[in-house]
Amino acid sequence: MRTARLYLRLLGAHFRSLLEYETDFLILAGATVLMQVVNIVFLAALFAKVPVLNGWTFWSVLMMFGAVALAEGVGSLFFDGMWNLAWHINRGELDYYLVRPYPVALQVSSAALGINGLSNIVTGSLMIGAGLAHSAVDWTPWRVGLAVLLLISSVVIKVSINLATNAVCFWLSSPSPMFAFAMHQVGDLARFPLSIYPLALKAVLGVALPFAFISYFPIAYLLDTGPSRWLGLLTPLAAVYCAGVAALVFQRGLRRYESAGN
Amino acid sequence: MRSYRALARAAARAALAYRLSLLLGMGAVLVQLVALLAVWRVVLAQSPINGFTWPQMRAYLLVAFAAGIVVSILGDFRMAYRILDGDVALDLVKPVDYQKARFAESLGGLWIELALIGVVVGVTLAFTGGVDLPAGAGAALFVASMLLLVPLKFLIVYVSTLACFWTQNFMGVQWARLAVVNLLSGALIPLVYLPHWLATAAQWSPFAGLTSTPALIFLGRVDAGEGLLLVAVQLGWVLVLWFGARLVWRAALRRLTVNGG
Amino acid sequence: MPIVEARDLTKVFRRPDKGSGLAGSFKHLFARRYSDKVAVDHIDLSIEAGEAVAYVGPNGAGKSTTVKLLSGILVPTTGQVRIDGLHPQRDRTTVAHRIGVLFGQRTQLWWDLPVSESLAVLRDIYGVDHATYRQRLARFDDVLELGELLPVIGRKLSLGQRMRADLAAALIHGPQVVYLDEPTIGLDLAVKDRVREFFRSLRDEGTTVMLTSHDLADIEGFCRRLVIIDAGRIIFDGDLVGVKDTFARERILHVETARPVPLETLRDSLPGAEVTVEDTPQRYAVRFDRFAVSAGQVVTVLAGLTDLVDFRVDEPSIEDVIRRVYSGELVLPR
Repeated sequence: MRTARLYLRLLGAHFRSLLEYETDFLILAGATVLMQVVNIVFLAALFAKVPVLNGWTFWSVLMMFGAVALAEGVGSLFFDGMWNLAWHINRGELDYYLVRPYPVALQVSSAALGINGLSNIVTGSLMIGAGLAHSAVDWTPWRVGLAVLLLISSVVIKVSINLATNAVCFWLSSPSPMFAFAMHQVGDLARFPLSIYPLALKAVLGVALPFAFISYFPIAYLLDTGPSRWLGLLTPLAAVYCAGVAALVFQRGLRRYESAGN
Repeated sequence: MRSYRALARAAARAALAYRLSLLLGMGAVLVQLVALLAVWRVVLAQSPINGFTWPQMRAYLLVAFAAGIVVSILGDFRMAYRILDGDVALDLVKPVDYQKARFAESLGGLWIELALIGVVVGVTLAFTGGVDLPAGAGAALFVASMLLLVPLKFLIVYVSTLACFWTQNFMGVQWARLAVVNLLSGALIPLVYLPHWLATAAQWSPFAGLTSTPALIFLGRVDAGEGLLLVAVQLGWVLVLWFGARLVWRAALRRLTVNGG
Repeated sequence: MPIVEARDLTKVFRRPDKGSGLAGSFKHLFARRYSDKVAVDHIDLSIEAGEAVAYVGPNGAGKSTTVKLLSGILVPTTGQVRIDGLHPQRDRTTVAHRIGVLFGQRTQLWWDLPVSESLAVLRDIYGVDHATYRQRLARFDDVLELGELLPVIGRKLSLGQRMRADLAAALIHGPQVVYLDEPTIGLDLAVKDRVREFFRSLRDEGTTVMLTSHDLADIEGFCRRLVIIDAGRIIFDGDLVGVKDTFARERILHVETARPVPLETLRDSLPGAEVTVEDTPQRYAVRFDRFAVSAGQVVTVLAGLTDLVDFRVDEPSIEDVIRRVYSGELVLPR
């Protein structure tokens, strides 16, 4: 609890200075909204010609796009500092983090606040909401609770993968988070139903880098569509697994940290 | 000329030094290729849509990929940060033309990009089957179109990066540019799939020359006359943007000198 | 039990070797070669609670690396570190409460926040209660005149202001052990004096302090123990004053005589000393070992030869001694 409170305190420290750059926020927000609009135009154009994609309607694929956008938005808004890890390592700027009594990973991720995440959270939620509104889900309290749990797990998975892939920079000498960025791009594959991909890609997105648990599996379970929909119930487990792996990779990486100026 | 060649070599060297970044930076384009191949394979499995068969769409996507990779080692980030930090003032005292210097840098990485395209296209063809190559006039037009794509893409990125003189925020401008280019160039979906008014607007915009024009010529979906017109539009935009960029640059310099960097 | 203990501490850095030119980069793509650099080489060091230690050495000797090892920032290649008996990585949180670190080259202040806000964030990270926090701020204000800096945004501080604020940041949680790595680098003299004064007050309160500096004026009057590191190895660990006795036994007597004296006469009457003529005749420099002969004895001998107009004895400053150790002129026994 203290950890969470302190996290918001650290994050909030940047908030005030961020407000100084109002135009920055507007440009970023505008750009992220534009990106989602382009996605929706693309989906609409595609589904104007085909009613379903492997059994998935426009609205269900829109939900997957929305889930990826939402998870990404939470990652930017609350954990954007991760993307500066490579730079911090390269410049030896973790020194002070390492002598403070607060988890280093949390100090890193709270060191920046990606205000543009806000627009992704909003557009992502709207896309999920629109998708759900056009679905025939029979809402019981148990289903609502489960949906919330799946949503939280989905976000945890995205953030954990961000952390783990960024922590790979402890091994690479690159000053930019290119590896993590590339994996983040791979994550965009999860915006489409997993069933359209060849087996190797299914394995990558379902197991190695379980991006499919951010969008496809939980939505398949919720909408009761597609093959092996029960896999969606494993989403919370996948979240715990990802968080554990991310923490482990980060701890291992930290042991390799060499500071700078040698 | 020698100084521009040196800049081009330095750019290639910088790209190689961070070879991992280089490979991964192209990931976005590659991921889009993979996703779209998977989507269209399913969609076009039964029957062609809008006249596109699966082998045609595959060829379209491969050309789109190649067009997306060319001139992507740009150093536009570096350029942006030099503008934002005011270090651009140091570039001004060098005895080279700023715009030509940046263009030379983007050419420096071209051979690396071509090698990458060769590998990815080769692997894709090996897995999904071959494509029909254009012949005669079509082939000549395709080559011309791909050659024009190089300055065209450079100029679009260059002009949008110059926006840093006004906005202080490079990331947002770049994202917006990527989104617009992705849609209006036909890289995300062939322009004929878009609503008619949007497709027409895109067709005459400078963005169509970034994917749609070379891809349609490659597929033989336009005859020689139409193809020539499309390439002429490309050329027109290159000229307009080359001299337009100079105007933007002059305005930017005024801003720089007025604000003192 | 020592509060800081390092045994057999070694840190090896591995650096990729890249050839030059395009060909070099290309070759490195396929064949990666590395070279190892031993930054800290089998160091043993223990510091008792309340001790003040100066840790000096030429640039690149391994000073900062040692500090980073002792504070748990770096993991040693071999050997181990204990802080108050704790493992700096395994017990990072507990250790963090007990140590304070200042790197003169680097700030820990938030660059876009006022100093007061940076300190408040640190207060919350360390869980310092408000009363104690106010008390400490008041004290920092006394010695460092911190008050005037509190409303200033981090990035707008001058170097001297930044160092004062960073000192406060490093000590806001009242650490038992403080590592100060080049804490006066780049400061002007007035600020240096104030900062040094602050170090002395820290020491007097019983805080264990390890001070790393290449400005030797920082250490004179601050600590009794001196550790010298060179090329990753500790080449001296002992009493600051003892350094002079042990390694700088030599004194120089500058003398002016009433009449010229032949150099041979002087040399014959002072065996074991080295006599040279200085800029003008009638002025001589006598270099002697203070444990072989005393200054008084030298003067007595000279006075027996001629009338002395003036004389002065030069003893090397600690700065001098260490500088000569760095340059290899003085070799300290292992």
